[in-house]
Amino acid sequence: MIEQKFSQMKMLAVALLVVSVSNLHAQRLPVLETNLSNGMKVLLAERHDEPSVAGGWVAHVGSANERPGITGIAHLFEHMMFKGTPTIGTTDAAKDFEILAEQEKIRDAMREEEATMRSQIRSGKIDDMMKPENWTPRYRELKTQFAALVDAERKVLVKNEFDNIYTANGASGMNAFTMQDMTAYFCTVPANKIELWMWMESGRIFKPVFREFYSERDVVFEERRMRLESTPMGVPMETFNAMFWEALPYSWDTLGWPSDVSTISKAQADNFYATFYAPQNLTLILVGDFNAAETIPKLEKYFGRIPRGTNNAPDLVTLEPKQTVEKRMNAEVDANPQVEIYYHTVPFGHKDSYALEILAQILSTHTGRLYKGLVLGGGIANDVGAAQYSMKWAGFFDVSGEAATGHSPAEVEHAIYAEIEKLQHAEVPAEELQKVKNNFAAGEYRKLNSNMGILHQLIWNEGEGDWSEINDANAKLQAVTAADVKRVANEYFQKENRAVATFTRKAKTEADKSNAK
Amino acid sequence: MKNLCLATFAAAVVLCSTVARADDIPDRPEKLSFAPLKYEPPVADEFRVQLKTGPVAYLVPDHERPLINLTLYVRTGSYLEPVGKEGLAELCGWLLSHGGAGTNTADQLEERLAFLAANLGTSIGDTEGTVSLNLLSKDLDEGFGILRDVLYAPRFQEDKITLRKSQILQEMKQRNDESPAIEGREAGFLSRGENFFENRYSTSNSLAGITQRDLVKFHFNYFQPKNFVVGISGDFNRADMIARLEKLFASGPMPSMALNGVEKTIPNLIPTNCTFTAPGVYLVNKPEVDQGRVTMMLPGIKRDSPDYFAGLIMNHILGGGGFSSRLMGRVRSDEGLAYSVFSRFPGGVYYPGIISIGFQSKSRTVAYAAALCVEELKRIAAAPVTDKEMNIAQQAFINTFPQKFATKSAVADVFAGDEFTGRHAGDPAFWKNFRDHIKAVTKDDVQRVAKKYLVAENLVVLVVGNQEEILLGHPEHPAKLKELLGGKFTELPLRDPLTMVPLR
Repeated sequence: MIEQKFSQMKMLAVALLVVSVSNLHAQRLPVLETNLSNGMKVLLAERHDEPSVAGGWVAHVGSANERPGITGIAHLFEHMMFKGTPTIGTTDAAKDFEILAEQEKIRDAMREEEATMRSQIRSGKIDDMMKPENWTPRYRELKTQFAALVDAERKVLVKNEFDNIYTANGASGMNAFTMQDMTAYFCTVPANKIELWMWMESGRIFKPVFREFYSERDVVFEERRMRLESTPMGVPMETFNAMFWEALPYSWDTLGWPSDVSTISKAQADNFYATFYAPQNLTLILVGDFNAAETIPKLEKYFGRIPRGTNNAPDLVTLEPKQTVEKRMNAEVDANPQVEIYYHTVPFGHKDSYALEILAQILSTHTGRLYKGLVLGGGIANDVGAAQYSMKWAGFFDVSGEAATGHSPAEVEHAIYAEIEKLQHAEVPAEELQKVKNNFAAGEYRKLNSNMGILHQLIWNEGEGDWSEINDANAKLQAVTAADVKRVANEYFQKENRAVATFTRKAKTEADKSNAK
Repeated sequence: MKNLCLATFAAAVVLCSTVARADDIPDRPEKLSFAPLKYEPPVADEFRVQLKTGPVAYLVPDHERPLINLTLYVRTGSYLEPVGKEGLAELCGWLLSHGGAGTNTADQLEERLAFLAANLGTSIGDTEGTVSLNLLSKDLDEGFGILRDVLYAPRFQEDKITLRKSQILQEMKQRNDESPAIEGREAGFLSRGENFFENRYSTSNSLAGITQRDLVKFHFNYFQPKNFVVGISGDFNRADMIARLEKLFASGPMPSMALNGVEKTIPNLIPTNCTFTAPGVYLVNKPEVDQGRVTMMLPGIKRDSPDYFAGLIMNHILGGGGFSSRLMGRVRSDEGLAYSVFSRFPGGVYYPGIISIGFQSKSRTVAYAAALCVEELKRIAAAPVTDKEMNIAQQAFINTFPQKFATKSAVADVFAGDEFTGRHAGDPAFWKNFRDHIKAVTKDDVQRVAKKYLVAENLVVLVVGNQEEILLGHPEHPAKLKELLGGKFTELPLRDPLTMVPLR
């Protein structure tokens, strides 16, 4: 059976292009693409500059694959992937599983109490389930019982062993991230430890054990507080985002809604794993000092042992309905007055995404039109920005500006529209277009900076839809014409296709009051 | 653009003759064997050039891509700002690349750089200025011409001074908006003293008082070749680049820049008058956030201290080693109280660093998490660390060592930085001996430095967050913030963002 796997693989590998090592000025990143016998995709980029390998893998799942009730699970799951396997993280796997099962029984009972508390919230008896004063007596008792089981588990636990092994072996930058469309795990290992990377990563994909699930859920909630709730713009932007996306599951943050994050169960996480972490939904990526031909059989040995999932991950069928009316939000915040404008545009790889990328550069940067028009020219804005976000299932264009002293977000908003209208009525001059293209062309070299930098670009492109855009996008960007730019400006930048948020400062101190005009 | 020859060919992948089998996979990683990794760090003197025009340069050729990356370090800094002109250094740094230079107006200069897709950055921080230029090697002649103008003939256009002042003023208004900003600022005041130069902030008044003449004078005083150190990597030939650098720095600053009453001065010595405040808990009330931010501080060491390497290992075990550290295990993994918890034990370059522990937790559990951190701080001083902990920490430093020099630009930057801060002159074998020094640290050393520096009685703990909720604590945990350090507790006011005067 193994022989058969390899012949299959050889056929795939032979057809690939490899750039000559002597050709040091190649701007294309030479990537060897293959598949393991279980459907796991593999991308290999050799670079022999220094003795390390940046290794990572992308799970083609993110918060866009969640639903109300389990928002935040993709991210919580990412955290759980660092908790070990049956042999990493415990001195006694059998005992550990026994305790985990007992813990779940207590948690089931706690979930019944949580349902009770939710009904108390709905009837107005309590205000917040987070407050310990609002917990039911039964819930407190169950918490104590659960704490005893956590203590029991600690006796067989080897704390953070997964990390300890990597750390002692010289791995660096070990981390992971979760976005709407992808979850990625990565680190850099010394070149002689590439097999350790395979052992570790294949081990946790094959048989992860979700120890310390509920304390990690609390950690994730702290992350939500840190990133969203305790920053002046965090929750207001979460609200704006929820208003902008109507049907697509981009409407909630990757960190999830507070109620959901605090109730996700281990059973839901198990189910999530079975659905989305099957080999055919994953892409392995290695960049650095290794030999691809020697590496592929080892990858088959370690990762090929993971059985292919019975079912493929379900496709996301929702298409964002066409917006028909402008949406507006006015917010008072602890921040400078500013405006944020989102237009619905196109997803990753769409034929118009390249003209929109060019357009974003024409508008943004210090020599771009918004800065010249609003900051240098009118003195209306203090800072401006524009960007096209091409994601897997949809995309949007973001234009923003912070008002200068004595000016309002409304003035900034209208000045932005005036700049956009110019682009809708007249083609961009050749020199201005060339300037933007020159920067994309130079970016082709700058992106090949370090193993980890390249790994991240492969992760991002592959996660959004296709790694080969790392090599192909530039030619498509260079092909964009002034007429293309004018066309997309007219097609997407329409009033009924946008959402606008204006932010004004909450007056508090004397200084604020005197400056609020 | 350089004409690229992209030679591609189809290559048959040769598979290993021995078929790898999944059932060979060991159950533990210790059973894997690895080829030894031979690594010797690059040697600074192989890249070092003393230019005739004054600067020392580190040249690291790298022909992988047609790019050149230069960083120029300048002996200047905010410590040289005259009293009442706070903000001058930062403003000067920004205007070098945004205020016009030579025959180019600011807009012409930025437009030309943008067309060349060249990145020019200039800034002046506490104790150094940096000028960085990243450009395609085909544009080197023009790029160095612009760089020479920026270094020696900046124009400090009045309209750009006005623009930048208004942008800085807007940023100033946000000083109390985010709790991390408040935390960082107040931590500085507590650990270094109100009079230390790092804690002299620009105000709306000091900013308004800065004139074009101040900028010209400040620039002229310090942007002299003898104050420069250069790190450069990329697509160039060493001999050719040396000649280009000599030309770049030759006979500057330009005579036209000389002003009446301005004389070339040698940079003043960097001040070391730090004062560490009285031990205790200090709290800044920020009622609108639901998470408290905590920084615990103690006086630390300079990087040339004999305790430096033991300090690195001790800190890795306590809270510097990410998930392998005690603080992470206790506060995050065990208790789920914080997303981020860490310790730092930096070796200061010019004056001793500040040892710190930091975390963020929901208001009600701030006191409990803080108590756990104090407990861990005491524990590492009270009892030896384990062999396993020692091994993980030492192996981590030894095995990640090559990452320090992972790219050619990193090589140039590390060596130029060492030259600038005096390490190359003072300890030229620092990198060569680094791993041996790490290996030589013992468990006794770790406990000794912990005892010496982690003195719980001296702790200064800063908390920024919702005072009422934080002081309430949590019914499941007895810890109270006011009692954390024996009842020493002080409320700190916010400061007016435009004057930095405490708001009472």
